Amino acid sequence: MNIHTYEKVWLIAALVLIVGFIATVTYGSVGLGIAMIDDSEETVEPGELGEDERFADPRVEQVGENEYEAYVVAQTFMFSPDPIEVPAGSEVTFYVTSRDVIHSFSVAGTNINTMVIPGEVATMTVEFDEPGEYGVVCNEYCGSGHHNMEGQLHVVEEDEFDMTELSVEADDEVETGDEATIDVAVENRMLEELETTVTLEIDGETFGEDVTVAGGETETTTFTVDTADLGEGDHDWTVTVDDYEDSGTLTVVDELEEEDDDDE
Amino acid sequence: MSRLTEEPAQRQEIDHDEYDPIGTLALIGLYFLILAFLWVFMYFVEFLGNEPTVVGGFVTVVGVL
Amino acid sequence: MMTMSNAYIDDFPAEAKVIRAAFYSSFFALALGGVFGVIQTLHRTGYYRFIDSADYYTVLTAHGVFLVISFTIFFLVGIFTWAVTTSLDRGVEDLRFTWGWYGLMAIGITLSGVAILAGFTDATDISASVLFTFYAPLQGHPMFYLGLVLFVVGTWLAGVDWFRSWWAWKGENPDERIPLPTFMVLTTMLMWYIATLGVAAAILLFLLPWSLGWIETVNPLLTRTLFWFFGHPVVYFWLMPAYMMWYVLLPKVSGGKLFSDPLARVVFVLFLILSVPTGIHHQYLDPGIAEGFKFIAMTNTMFLLLPSLLTAFTVVASMEHGARQRGGTGYFGWLKALPWRDPVFTGMALAGLMFAAAGFSGMVNAGMNINYLVHNTFWVVGHFHLTVGTAVALTFMAVTYWFLPQVTGKALWSRSVALGQVVLWFVGMTFMSNAMHRAGLLGVPRRTAEPQYDGFEFEAAVGSIGELQAQIALGGILLTLSLVLFFANVIGTGLNGRSDDLPANEYAGTLSGPEDAPLVLDNLKLWTAIAIVLVIFAYTFPLLSIVDRGGLFGPELNPFPVSIESVTLLAFAVEHLAVGALESLSLPGLLEVIR
Repeated sequence: MNIHTYEKVWLIAALVLIVGFIATVTYGSVGLGIAMIDDSEETVEPGELGEDERFADPRVEQVGENEYEAYVVAQTFMFSPDPIEVPAGSEVTFYVTSRDVIHSFSVAGTNINTMVIPGEVATMTVEFDEPGEYGVVCNEYCGSGHHNMEGQLHVVEEDEFDMTELSVEADDEVETGDEATIDVAVENRMLEELETTVTLEIDGETFGEDVTVAGGETETTTFTVDTADLGEGDHDWTVTVDDYEDSGTLTVVDELEEEDDDDE
Repeated sequence: MSRLTEEPAQRQEIDHDEYDPIGTLALIGLYFLILAFLWVFMYFVEFLGNEPTVVGGFVTVVGVL
Repeated sequence: MMTMSNAYIDDFPAEAKVIRAAFYSSFFALALGGVFGVIQTLHRTGYYRFIDSADYYTVLTAHGVFLVISFTIFFLVGIFTWAVTTSLDRGVEDLRFTWGWYGLMAIGITLSGVAILAGFTDATDISASVLFTFYAPLQGHPMFYLGLVLFVVGTWLAGVDWFRSWWAWKGENPDERIPLPTFMVLTTMLMWYIATLGVAAAILLFLLPWSLGWIETVNPLLTRTLFWFFGHPVVYFWLMPAYMMWYVLLPKVSGGKLFSDPLARVVFVLFLILSVPTGIHHQYLDPGIAEGFKFIAMTNTMFLLLPSLLTAFTVVASMEHGARQRGGTGYFGWLKALPWRDPVFTGMALAGLMFAAAGFSGMVNAGMNINYLVHNTFWVVGHFHLTVGTAVALTFMAVTYWFLPQVTGKALWSRSVALGQVVLWFVGMTFMSNAMHRAGLLGVPRRTAEPQYDGFEFEAAVGSIGELQAQIALGGILLTLSLVLFFANVIGTGLNGRSDDLPANEYAGTLSGPEDAPLVLDNLKLWTAIAIVLVIFAYTFPLLSIVDRGGLFGPELNPFPVSIESVTLLAFAVEHLAVGALESLSLPGLLEVIR
């Protein structure tokens, strides 16, 4: 076969390009540790995500000092949780699955991008150095409302990040002279212990109590209010823990009526 | 079947042994440089600069060791 | 005979009629696809929205299927028939068989097309807004899948037709080399037989029975993988006819000869071998496929660049040969000596130039981890509007100006309108495709009616989203104008009377001819066997692993959206037509082909 010298030169140049491309990608994988979405996760039943311990309640969990896991469910035409909130300076592993058709989970303007296939769990580990707010889009056609499928990913300042959950149980109505109780449960879903102050404000008066909640634990603080001091009528109260707030109204009555169920 | 032997605008016949496609080599050399440059730009600027990027869990493991 | 003309229609009047039918089917699809294209462009960019965004996906399905299935494939069966009959200098073996496969393709695409277009009306339950990729659990009407099967079977039979011609010719010319155009047709068809096994399996084993309610569920990752088994090589099915035109027609219209027949054969052999075991590079970001399989697919894909890079040299060197014979000189000065006023030349040359640009974005798409950057973004759409949308489509339109007189016997209506048309396409696509690539790098997704979101905005480092939208809309309008000029020429030519002053039916001679090509290149059995072995290597373990993980029929999932009530008649048709056709015709045909 009779190949012109110039064409031989080009053949070699073309092979150099090809090998160079493969070498660059290999450097990215081995040298920089960029991993591909793979088959490391077991399959799941898309119709039974409600019973799946990871996906029944889509959420972010802390698994190490600066390590988090995000369990994300994509479905027509939404992502949950939404927004996904993680701290800056952390390493987050996303586990994403679909309840129905094929979607994608793609964080706009970043290299976080995966297909989401029902039955399969896509997993990717990402380091977030800086705080920022990103949009999440589905970039695979998933039905007539595909263009409305979006979510948010918030990377918040490390010292502003917590996984505290506040729930308050309070009496609605008490008789004058009785004591009203307000139970404040503070759940700390992070691993480190949480030192904070639970504040109750009622009728302009403020009560505070310092609490320490161990990682993964819930502490309940009970405030007892003497209704004689408050007097008859409606009294608005607010419970504050860090940035979280809950509020309600305590009604002090002369005499309790039966079956009177006022909401809050 | 007939094959082309003449073309109206043709001024001279150049056969295989007297033809060196030097213009092609020049053009394709230029193409090579463009491709190589754009690849480096796309990989190292557009891609690696588009952080955050997915990394393997094994990086941490290596860090611990 | 009074006529002095030596056009194709004079030698092969009956075959010219089949080719005309194929071309007109192709152009009809191009017209429909073009209309849906401009509707989409204006809708997406927000310049003019007169359809509901939910209907955008029906428009997109129609745009995709009509252009990349009907327009391209009808056109290529036309030029393949021309290539085989011209280069073997013999008519088809059995004209009824030839009309038979054309008819089957036409029926098939009509069924699929009707299923898609019915999505616009609520009068029927029929719809198939599943896009060109029809990923389950999105479900189309059975008619959509059935139509695709018939269409593909039609192309299989077309291949049998061309092989029959070659066998008959070989019987009479036992010691001759396969003429280059026929060699290209045969290698392309062998690749196509292997590639379509994937989509045939996906549809016949899973999607069609599922859409008819015979099976409850499918494995979405499995059908998706089978789709891409076919979905990547199908792009070479579009591209190889364009390459054929660049190899056998472009040197001639440049005034030169093909630089190297042996290398042209090497290129087509490489495509036969490497086209199929690459499909997983469309699934770099799929969960459920191991990284190792993705790496193998990348290696194969990267080496698939080689035939294209070789083509670039051979084709440009052939053009340069023409330019130098026309008096061109210098390193770059010879470019001025090329026949830039000839729309056939200019269209193909501009198509080739765009394909060089597409080579760049294709390399990025082929890269494994860099896929995180571009996967399913608008970048990909920019890429394939350069490849199938320009390298293929513009080449096809340009060569139409040469073929139309050959198969109609009528002179082209207007060469200057034709020249304006090909240049306009190039300019329009430059605007549109460049902006699509840039938007993709910002993360703008493909396949969406409204890439405008409530919670965030895409941020452009250079320029703005608005500027990109404007370029895309402008490009779309220029492309539409270009199409109008194209159809004006097709119709104008059709209205012309017969001419006896047409160019002869000839293709380019060679500088280095088949006598320089090693005999082994013509050993189609060997290359087919190697191609099959590579496919087995690349796909056996991924497919076994996918079935092992998710099961043959996947998890329990509801079809989405459900589009059928009960179509008893159709079910009957499916059983008797598709399965019957497959068993009795195609499999023995295929075996024969391989033998």
